[in-house]
Formats: sequence, C-alpha cells, structure tokens
Amino acid sequence: MEFLSALSPLFFLLIAFGVLVGIIFGSIPGMTATMAVAVCLPLTYALDLTNGLALLLGLYVGGITGGMVPAILLKIPGTPSSITTTFDGYPMAKNGEGERALKIGIVASLFGGVFSAILLFLFAPVLSDFAIKFSYVEKFLIIFLALTVIASLSGNMLMGIFSGILGVWLSLIGTYDISDGGNGEIRLMFDFMEPYLESGFSLLPVLIGLFGLGTVLIEAEKGVKKEISSQSLKMSGQAQFSMSVFKGKLTNLIRSSSIGTFVGMLPGVGGSAASVLAYTQEKNFSRDSSQMGKGAPQGIVASESSNNGLTGGALIPLLSLGIPGDSTTAILIGAFTLQGIQVGPLFIGDNLDTWYTMVFALLVANFVMFAIMFFAIKHIAKVVAVPKYILYPIIIMMCVVGAYAINYGIMFDVWTLFMFGIFGYVAHKVGIEIPPLIIGFILGGSAEIYFVKSLESYGDFMIFFTKSPIAMFLWGLIFMSIAFSIYLHIKGRRQQSSEAET
Amino acid sequence: MKKTILALSVALAGSAVTSTAMAQDDAPIDGNLRIVIGSTSTGGDTYQNSEIVAQELSDKLDMNVKVDAVGATEAFKTLERNDDGNTMMIFHDMSYLGHLYGVRGYDNVFEEFNVGPSIAINPGNAYLVPKDSPYDSFDDIKEAVADGERVRVSIQPGGVSEIGFSAMKNAIRIEHPGAEENLVAVNSGSQSDKNQQMFDGLADVINGSVQSNEQFTRLEEDDQKAMKFIWLTAREDTIKQTLEEGMGETTREELLEYTEPNVTVTQDGEKNFTFDKEFFFIYNKDMDQEIVDYMDEALADIYDEGEIQETQKQSFFIPNFKPSDESREDLKQKMNEYKEIIESIDS
Repeated sequence: MEFLSALSPLFFLLIAFGVLVGIIFGSIPGMTATMAVAVCLPLTYALDLTNGLALLLGLYVGGITGGMVPAILLKIPGTPSSITTTFDGYPMAKNGEGERALKIGIVASLFGGVFSAILLFLFAPVLSDFAIKFSYVEKFLIIFLALTVIASLSGNMLMGIFSGILGVWLSLIGTYDISDGGNGEIRLMFDFMEPYLESGFSLLPVLIGLFGLGTVLIEAEKGVKKEISSQSLKMSGQAQFSMSVFKGKLTNLIRSSSIGTFVGMLPGVGGSAASVLAYTQEKNFSRDSSQMGKGAPQGIVASESSNNGLTGGALIPLLSLGIPGDSTTAILIGAFTLQGIQVGPLFIGDNLDTWYTMVFALLVANFVMFAIMFFAIKHIAKVVAVPKYILYPIIIMMCVVGAYAINYGIMFDVWTLFMFGIFGYVAHKVGIEIPPLIIGFILGGSAEIYFVKSLESYGDFMIFFTKSPIAMFLWGLIFMSIAFSIYLHIKGRRQQSSEAET
Repeated sequence: MKKTILALSVALAGSAVTSTAMAQDDAPIDGNLRIVIGSTSTGGDTYQNSEIVAQELSDKLDMNVKVDAVGATEAFKTLERNDDGNTMMIFHDMSYLGHLYGVRGYDNVFEEFNVGPSIAINPGNAYLVPKDSPYDSFDDIKEAVADGERVRVSIQPGGVSEIGFSAMKNAIRIEHPGAEENLVAVNSGSQSDKNQQMFDGLADVINGSVQSNEQFTRLEEDDQKAMKFIWLTAREDTIKQTLEEGMGETTREELLEYTEPNVTVTQDGEKNFTFDKEFFFIYNKDMDQEIVDYMDEALADIYDEGEIQETQKQSFFIPNFKPSDESREDLKQKMNEYKEIIESIDS
C-alpha cells in the first residue's frame, strides 16, 4: 500500500475531472471515449505519469459509461459499444422509464467496471497468457459468434440476415490496408469514388448517421407537434428504480462482465463485439428473454456491464503484453511512451507502484462515475422533455461536429453522415433493419481480416473446425446461438398464427 | 522511472523557460501550425517524436502547434491542399519506401512534395526470433536457407518493416545465389500481429523494435512469449549515440552486439547494409521558400539550444537535425541505394 502515500488530492481531482469530461464526451452523439482520451492526451505532458493516468483512466471510464445516455434517451449510441443499450433502453425511455433505465445502466456499469478491475488486478499475467492462445482462427470464430446475434435480433429473419450481410459488404468498401496485413488494394467501388473512399466509410459517421440523423428524419416526417413533446415527459408515475430490479440478474451481470473483460483483452476483436456478444448470450441463456428488445432491464444490464467490463479487459494486454486491447487503450499507450515508460510483459513487475496506482485509479474512476451519474441522472433524463424542435437541430449539429472531428477534420465524414442518415430513413421505409446492418458493419472488417489471415496462414478450410479445443467450443456456442434464433423464430410464428386463429 | 519523468519534465519545462521565441511581425507564417503525421497511432514513434518537436516549435515560433495522427494517405492529401505553410507533415522513410514498393497512395515524395529538414532517428528497428529458436544469428539463418530450409519472416509489407527483409534476401542472393527463395515474407499488420504469428509458430523471424520487444527478450526461455534479438538494422554509430543504459535492462553495449559489424548483412558483397529510421518534415511542393528557410532556422536554433536532444534521447531517439537541402540530398541517396536492393531481388 506504499503507493497510496504518493497520491495527492490532485490525483483524485483529475479522476473526477476526467470522469466528468468523459461522460460529457460519451453523452454527445458523435463524440466517443477514444476522442476524449485523444483530446486530453496532450494535457498529460504537464503531469507526472501517476496523475496523467488518473486523468486518462477517468476519461476512459466516463466516456464508455456516458455512451448509454443518448442510447437510452435518444436511441443514438453515444459510443459504438452502447449500440445494444439502445435495444431496451430506448423502449423503456419511451414508456417514461428513462430515469429508471439509466439507473439500471449505471449500476450495471459500476458492476462491470469494478469486476473487470478486480480481474485485471488478480489475473492480468495469467489472462494475457490465455489471450495469446487465440490466433486468427479463434478470433474469427468469436466475431462469427457475435455476428450470429443478427439472426436473433431481427424482426424478420430473412430481412435481418440480408441487412447484416449488407452491413458486412459496406464495411469492406475501401482499401484492404497493409497495416492490417492486407494487399493495399482498393475494392468494391468505381474509380471516381477512390479519392473519397480509399479508407472506406468511417464507423462513427455511419453509426450516428443511421441512428441519429436517420431517426431525426423519420421523426421530422411525422411532424413535430407540441403535444408530442409534452407527452414524452412521462417522467413520473411510472415504475421507479429500485435495486430489486437486479434480483435474479447476478448471473447476467457476472456473465456479461466476464464477456466484456474477455473480449477487451483480445487485441483486434473490437470493443463493440463485447456488448453484442453479452446481449446475445443473455438472450440465449436467460430463462425468459421474450421481452428483450422491447424494454427489458436485463438487456441494459447485459449491454452496460459488458461494455464497462471492457475497460479493465482492454488494459490486460496493454499492461502485460504492451499491446492495446482497444482503440482507447491504443491512445493510452501514448501516455506511457511520452513519459518514456516501456509497457510489455515485464511492466507490472518492473513498475509495481504504477501498476497499483492504475488499478486503484480504475476502481476510483468507477465509483466516481457512479456518484456523478447516479445523482445527476434525474436532471440528465430530462433531455427527453426538451421539445423536439429544439432537440433535433442540436443533435444534428452535434452529429456534424462529431463526424467532422473524428478523423481530425475530413469533410467526407460529414457527407458520410448525411448519406447514411438518408439511407437510415429509406431503410426504415423499405424494411431494412438497422441494428443487424450496423452490427455487420462493425464486425465485417475484422471478420474478413481474420478469415483471410486464417486461410493464408494454415491454407486449409478445415482449420476452422480443427484448430484447437477453444475453436470447437466456440463452434458449439455458434450452433447453439443459431439454433436458439431459429427456435425463437418458429415460436414467434406459431404464436402469431394461434393469435390469428383466435 | 522517476528519473525519466524528472528528466522529461525538466527538459520540457526548461525548454519553455529558456528558449527564445523568434516570432516576428514579418514572420512568413502566422496563426496556427498543424502537423499531420503519416501514422494513425498516438502511441507510436512518429507521434511521440513529432510531439517533442511540436512542443519546441510552439515555444520557438510563439504559435499553437498541433499534431494530428491522420495516417499517410490523409496526410499526403491534406498536404497537397495546403501550400500556405500552416500545414506540414512529419513522417519517416516509409514515405519513399512505400513508393519503391509500389504501395497505393505513395507517390515519389521527392517529386510531388518538398522534403524538409530531418529531426531524429529511431534506432530501434529490429529482427527477432523465439528464444528457443535454432537460429541464434543471421548467419544461422543464411546457412539454414542455403541448406534448403524455409525461413518465414513476419513483416508489414511495403515499408520500414520490409526493407530489412529485402536486405536479408539480397544478402543471401549474393552469398548463396538461388537460396534467397527460401526466405519468405509472411504478411502481417501491427506489432501485436507479428508477435502473435511468432507465438502461433507461423513465423520463424519477426520484425519488431527495441522499444516494443525488449521486455520479451528478458523472459525465461520456457515462456511461449520469450524472444531474442538477432539484428538491429541501425548503424553502429547510431546505436553508439543512445544513452549508456540503453532500453529497459538491455544496455547500449548489449544492443551493439546486434548491429554491424557484429551482424553482417551485405549490401553488395563489400558494404554492410544498415537502415536508420529517420524522421523528417515534408512540405507542400509550392510552399514558399521563405517558409522553408524560416523552419530551418527555427529548428537550427532549437537544436543549438541543446535541450531537445536530452528529451529525444530519454525517449530512445537519436537527435539528427539536418537542414532541408542536406536532408533532401541524403534521403534521396538513401532511396537510390534501397531502390537498387529492391530491384536486385525482384530481378
């Protein structure tokens, strides 16, 4: 506990400041945790490593958690990893349970964050040794497993699968980058598109275009009537939050937090896969998942505990292999290099004080996040009470700023936002399903890389089935997930036909 | 660790206090200076090195200087659009190696842009093998491929990572003609991918760096992650300029065991191949010569003051300021030498 004596009030202030700024970044559609850390990285030059890390970890935890606010209240994921929070959070907010949904999300986030920090502290070296057992084949199968969620998320299974494939196809447009081990060639576009689409469509403009702008256009078509905005202010009189909502959800919490931590520690799989996987597993394994997607607290619990589980998980390979687990920790590594600190397999042993400080900062950040969010949420939830004719122009403005800023000022990202906003509107009209499409888009790029790399490395298609016991276990989960989706689909049809008969 | 932090803080704080701003009313650039870099990573050497220089320039020119990690393709595009001197680029040898290897998005940097002053060298480019590998040196690898063994080298194609591979292949071609076919490249992406390929047994040799891989070389041999250096591509003179304590627990003396002349990778049968990863400015082709001179002058002042060298060395960079004309000539010559190597193995 020697490290505690080295901590100053500034350390705690910086965590609190980081969490607050992170929450603000996460809450604004188009701004992400990664962006918050990137923007504040230069501030750490003036600080020593301990205080610099306090600030950055605060931003990280705050940013990931803040993403749930627009996801629940506006159906716009604040960060890519809060997509699945929209599935149940927004229906709850529409029923006037926005505050309750947010509180459920905050408690789940705290659980996920603390759970992963403890795992990080106790098992980082062991877990990183386990993580390196996952080669291209296993990573592909994990992404494939996450993709199977498409089937169970779809309203119409055929259309859902089509939407998912469309998402994968969109994600492949651009260069098969050499920095991913590709051949550097451009594909899936006409020559005139090359100057714009060399790097493909950026995730964030696509995400906020489909969810943010698309939704605004759909709502705008309905017309913004005064009574609609006042109707949406059903803040009281509905079910209030109580901890009893977590009764019977401990398994969900532990499973989802573990999935978040586990996916976070696999470099290259991507944080968004964590919440998608946790959501699928809750849908497949819970006793009653019939309400999921319609406003079930268990969906928010799965999504939020897993995406905060990422925070500790992504630090595992960073601190025990020197490899960042996700895009935010990739920036975090900059704080170390700028201070001349090497991160690698011997980092923990060589820098025990820094290691303890980091885990401690992560834990404190989670509790500070809880304190800030839980008590401020009453006011934050009132966002839904803002008249839409004021709210929507602000959302559009924030989306545009976020899209322009995400890659340091590329105008094509703003056009991408508009294109996908209009596409989201048209998709709604023709029945294309947005959640499967965006999941396909997020996971498609990594799926391709790991699929191609597996074949390049092993030269045999059968390797996907025979590579290792881990691969076989993952196939088991994939088949179960698909079988469950088919079962749900058939059950739904039977229900529909029996209702029609009566 | 505390020593490093202290040194860096002192260096940064010191530079802020002592450097004399040279901004004048008639300065050829005003407003803000944006430095785009050829990497998208803020954890890598390009960002780290650019930040050190940006901080010093900010004080010297008395203007806001911001480093944006936009990546090579976007950086070149941004530079093409801006000739007013408020946008500049910092990158390394990849900017011409990408062109030599025919990577999309890399034109001839000497024709399409204006190559500016050099600022630093990263001496850490390295090749490693698993600790329990039968190969202890590049000589072992040469013998193995000459005996018909297939040796797989994990690299990211088309740049700094590949030039060392091309040099090894060229050396084998000269010493054991025909055997170079047995040295094969395994395409990979990030350092994490290369390490993973080694852990999975998919690569016998990987490209890495002293900074990223030094800790792996200190692991016990029975650890799946343990590695050992076989070659550092930097010149012996370059490594000699690093701090005596080297990197991590590996001292400068130990690092010198892996450079020329202890490791021989012949370039043409007589001369040894070396590769120093140099960082330099790139400007828009039409940027005013007055701004080029202004930047040369500002950087010369910064390096004369002597504090930036401390900061760079603490971060395992070798200070290497060369004004634009000298830098351009040296880099052109370097490109021509590497072009010959690449062409000889292609033929």
